[in-house]
Amino acid sequence: MDNLLHSFSLAVRNIKRTPLPYLLTILILSLGLGMFFSNATLYYWLNHDPLPHKSHSLFHPQINAVLQPCDSCTEPTRVLSYQDVKKLSSSGIPSAQAAMFQSAGYARLPGKTDQSPTPVSLRVTQRDFFTLFDVPFLHGQRWADNTARRELILSKASAERFFGRSNVVGETLQLGNELFTISGVLQNWDMLPRLYDVANGLSSAQSADIYLPWETAYDLGIKSNTTTMSRDSRDYSDNFAVNGREGDFYQAQFWVQLDSPKQVAAYQQFMQQLVQSEKEAGRHPRPEANRLTNILDITEHFNARNRQLDAFALVSLLFLLVCLFNASHLSLNRYLASQYEFGLRRALGCSRGQLQQLILADVAVSACLALALSLAVAAAAMTLIASLLPATRNLTSWNPVMVVTMAGTALVACYLVTLYPALRASFGGLNRQLK
Amino acid sequence: MITLTNLSKIFRTELIETHALRDINLQVNEGEFAALTGPSGSGKSTLLNILGTLENFDSGDYQLDGKSVKGLSDAAVSRLRNEKIGFIFQSFNLIKDFSIYDNIELPLRYRGLKASARKQRIEQALELVGLHARRDYLPGQLSGGQQQRVAIARAIAGEPRILLADEPTGNLDSLMARQVMELLEQINQRGCTILMVTHDPEQARRAGRHIQIIDGQLHDSTLYQPLATQIVRPQAVAQGA
Repeated sequence: MDNLLHSFSLAVRNIKRTPLPYLLTILILSLGLGMFFSNATLYYWLNHDPLPHKSHSLFHPQINAVLQPCDSCTEPTRVLSYQDVKKLSSSGIPSAQAAMFQSAGYARLPGKTDQSPTPVSLRVTQRDFFTLFDVPFLHGQRWADNTARRELILSKASAERFFGRSNVVGETLQLGNELFTISGVLQNWDMLPRLYDVANGLSSAQSADIYLPWETAYDLGIKSNTTTMSRDSRDYSDNFAVNGREGDFYQAQFWVQLDSPKQVAAYQQFMQQLVQSEKEAGRHPRPEANRLTNILDITEHFNARNRQLDAFALVSLLFLLVCLFNASHLSLNRYLASQYEFGLRRALGCSRGQLQQLILADVAVSACLALALSLAVAAAAMTLIASLLPATRNLTSWNPVMVVTMAGTALVACYLVTLYPALRASFGGLNRQLK
Repeated sequence: MITLTNLSKIFRTELIETHALRDINLQVNEGEFAALTGPSGSGKSTLLNILGTLENFDSGDYQLDGKSVKGLSDAAVSRLRNEKIGFIFQSFNLIKDFSIYDNIELPLRYRGLKASARKQRIEQALELVGLHARRDYLPGQLSGGQQQRVAIARAIAGEPRILLADEPTGNLDSLMARQVMELLEQINQRGCTILMVTHDPEQARRAGRHIQIIDGQLHDSTLYQPLATQIVRPQAVAQGA
């Protein structure tokens, strides 16, 4: 312990002895690491598995069920119609299934006419949404069934924003011109990446403020504010409760949970049979193109990778390599300048191993400084990237595992930078510097 | 204590091979105070470095306390150097931003001594060299003679069996040089074997033994005789024969 403390005090003394070369080395390292960390953070959030314990069982079914004939249309549409959802929901095979789309509206407390309504993001969905994606409840519970009901589920932040507290189950909130009872409040929850909404290019968006029952949204004429498509001549601004349900209007995503390969095979067979019967009924004029895509493949499936971020990640990696090379060069000069002292220590009985311990302490101090500075650089860089690419705004947090990984990376980078200089110094001739 | 048998050292570059030491045979007994003399470039410092295990040799054998140092691992050689050998350099080689105390402490740390044991040895060494009151000074605050006494304190704090001194008075004036020599004699009287490289005939005379190297060869290794009878160049030997 005494020797360890001595090694660290020597490391600090080394900084005081040659502050400028030392700080320059740390600065270069921090710039490289900071840029790398910022891009690695975005890359991590966009590519990690948000539900590792069940992602293998979550699937996105699609059928090519647009009613307009088109022989060359061999890819199904990104979104489904109400009728498609209804048919795909009828198998009885999945252990959970939910249709959904994103929308927006204005909400306020009832009776507070003096207050201007607050814009809110909505997720129109069915009760199994909360099961499919393990959404945790803070108060209350999900809807009892999928029937139309004037019940909302709020995010914790929304509950606190409107009511100043989180336990607001049973309270009333006005959404648009309608009054709703609050049946549940979610814990702080953000699924990153938001893979259930990749079809809309919203994989990095924040979770919704308010969750609204699927059937209720159709009753009230609430439509998706992202992807909608209609292929007939109906007026969907009028009587949406009927037209939206019966017409050729596409806006829904649909997710199912299939827990075993057997269930997956059964559901694929169900989709085939469904399409076959639809064709026989003349409701599936396009080529059969059934898709059952796992949630981890959904980004590639919709070709929704953020190529700009990939390019940033590559550039930051190259920048890190350049910084490491330069820092190593500076470090070599610093260590060569210390070679006299290394030689003296060796002459006094310090073994190469003991010298390496001293150097490791030096590396550890460098790593701490480089880590602190590189995190600051990374935070600044992420702010900059978020301003350039607003879609990444929600991907800039660090969890403890990431911080530990970054600390480890900083340590390895500092050691790599000092490895060659340290070896040169510790294997140098003992007698050359001493007279 | 020290036995060199047919020891040779060659420095090689791409173009030239320089025989720094040729077939050196030498026996140094415990408690001796030997002066190593010879012209510049004769191999004195190389021999001292090999004796101090700071440099490897190419052929022959070097036995310290009856054990060959050849083929020892770096850790073993470092331990041996730390426990049995003390160095005194011409340029003192003190670390400038370490206090006197910290400089003397260095070799003791590498031995793994506890703080209390280190402190006891450092204080004893400082008492011996008469610098106890200046333990917290930096080397730059001391005179050359005092710095060399610190270097001697550092060398003897570990209670080595051998003290290797490379022109220890080379950078000192005559008064300080005399003080350092007196200190070395005092240390030798306590039983420590000393090998000292020197150009000063007076200092060589004060040593109990005079070893002479010319052109990498040991030409005499006897107990002290008047210098005039000792310096014999190879050519002169050949002519005389």
